[in-house]
Amino acid sequence: MTVAVEFKKVSRHFGAVKAVDEVDLKIDEGSFFAMLGPSGSGKTTSLRLISGFDQPSAGSIHIFGEACETAPPNRRPVNTVFQDYALFPHLSIRDNVAYGLMVRGVRKNLRHQEADEMLSLVKLDNFGDRKPAQLSGGQRQRVALARALVNKPRVLLLDEPLGALDLKLREQMQEELKALQQRLGITFVFVTHDQTEALSMADKIAVFNAGGIVQIGTPEEVYHRPRTKFVADFVGSSNLVPPQISLDLGGQSCWSSLKPEALTLTKQEGAKVVGTVKSIRYLGATNRVMIQVGETELSALLSNTADHWTRGDFVGLQVKPGALYAMEENT
Amino acid sequence: MRSDQRSSKWLKLAAIAGLLFLHLPLALIFLYAFTTEATSYQFPPPGLTLDWFEVTWNRADVWEALGLSVKVASISTVIALVLGTLCAAAVSRSRFFGREAISLLVILPIALPGIVTGISLRSAFNLADIPYSTLTIILGHATFCVVVVYNNAVARFRRLSASMIEASMDLGANSFQTFRYIVLPNIATAMLAGGMLAFALSFDEVIVTTFTAGQQATLPIWMLEELVRPRQRPVTNVVAMVVVLVTFLPILGAYYLTRSGTDTAGAGK
Repeated sequence: MTVAVEFKKVSRHFGAVKAVDEVDLKIDEGSFFAMLGPSGSGKTTSLRLISGFDQPSAGSIHIFGEACETAPPNRRPVNTVFQDYALFPHLSIRDNVAYGLMVRGVRKNLRHQEADEMLSLVKLDNFGDRKPAQLSGGQRQRVALARALVNKPRVLLLDEPLGALDLKLREQMQEELKALQQRLGITFVFVTHDQTEALSMADKIAVFNAGGIVQIGTPEEVYHRPRTKFVADFVGSSNLVPPQISLDLGGQSCWSSLKPEALTLTKQEGAKVVGTVKSIRYLGATNRVMIQVGETELSALLSNTADHWTRGDFVGLQVKPGALYAMEENT
Repeated sequence: MRSDQRSSKWLKLAAIAGLLFLHLPLALIFLYAFTTEATSYQFPPPGLTLDWFEVTWNRADVWEALGLSVKVASISTVIALVLGTLCAAAVSRSRFFGREAISLLVILPIALPGIVTGISLRSAFNLADIPYSTLTIILGHATFCVVVVYNNAVARFRRLSASMIEASMDLGANSFQTFRYIVLPNIATAMLAGGMLAFALSFDEVIVTTFTAGQQATLPIWMLEELVRPRQRPVTNVVAMVVVLVTFLPILGAYYLTRSGTDTAGAGK
């Protein structure tokens, strides 16, 4: 498989701040790649390094095998969908979409035709004559998408593409983006701080923290087998199990992650690990039960039909075999 | 109910009185452009005539002063447009040490009394051994014209988001195309408004001109001289009418251009 974007030991330092520090990264062509992390983790800087709005302090960036650390944005086969969409307020929607073709010297009727086709791809037929101010947030998002895609980029970069939309619209756009990516077969790279967004859309996720990538993997890998405590905490709602409890539950003697749904409660007798029920929250089909085990608080997701527990109960803890996943101890 | 009506009547009266106070003197200037009495302001005018327009038309010194004023205003407006817009772009588009200080320094000339600007320019020209000429008038006017353009442009630049320029580059445009297709259309009306105000300011400027002019007289200076030694006094009134119209139209234009939610800052000096 061709590699679309490759970082080799890429760093971007702003004075003493290491926004991106020695990052290695490979993004396969045709994949839907998510850069996930809290703000200030280096994900947006990495995106700007790919788009060309920023240059690395050290290291090399290859886009389809070509070194391009210093190439300006207008000479890269990538286009960006900006967080605030950055539509041109003085141009009609059609001229917005046709802008990339216009600056390349494509004739007017030809570029308008292509713009209209692109608008119909994002379900905005008949919106061509309007101005950006006359569109809703979701519609502007689509225009930004069409404006980037009309240039037939080999990589499409999306900076927090759904951040400004309300929940319902966001879920709808998630599906549409995914469908669009599969239909066009273009590599999508998107930056987000929302783990559910990353998990539901991406083929692969890079989890950023403090200027570096902590883990790269499929959503399943990142969710079920977080490599570090940070990933377990940020991506999933995993329990972080200290070494001693992990050992007692049948895992290894190191920090481990444990999904709430893999934890079951028993009557106290005979259990190696015991705790106290601290709280119970009703979630519809399930209950979320918090259990205090010594210093540690663990959460379990229990079916409603199972035994009923009440606050203050002493319980024994059991886990399904293989549910405890050993993590690297540091961080 | 009754007291409401009464108070609104008084308000109306007050408003009318205020308007009269502001505009009656102007109306008088206009009226005396038509008087038949040439040497004194006699009220009411003994008769009305259009002769003074013809007399004014045939006076070479009027044309000379008008020509100089238009020339000075045009050139200093062009200088102000270039410098003011570039300065606004620098201040709003990038972060650098002393940015706020520069912003203040650019605006300062309009806050200073004209007489201070005038004296400092005069001594500067003296020190630099630059003879007083049309050029020195233009330079003097440019100092406050830059501010007007700068203020208008900087307000507009603030609304032009950085990502819009990045988007243009990202879509394949080079710097020139980005300026031509994205930046310019978005700041054009602000530049035009700033330019019109600058022109109007320069056109009726007296104080700075007094200090920076040599033997030439711009239109306002010419009018002052006419008041001191009156020959054909109503000619001055005719010229005053022209000045009012010439400066009023650009200001009106600037108002309409920036009325859609944009601030026209620094409109008064």
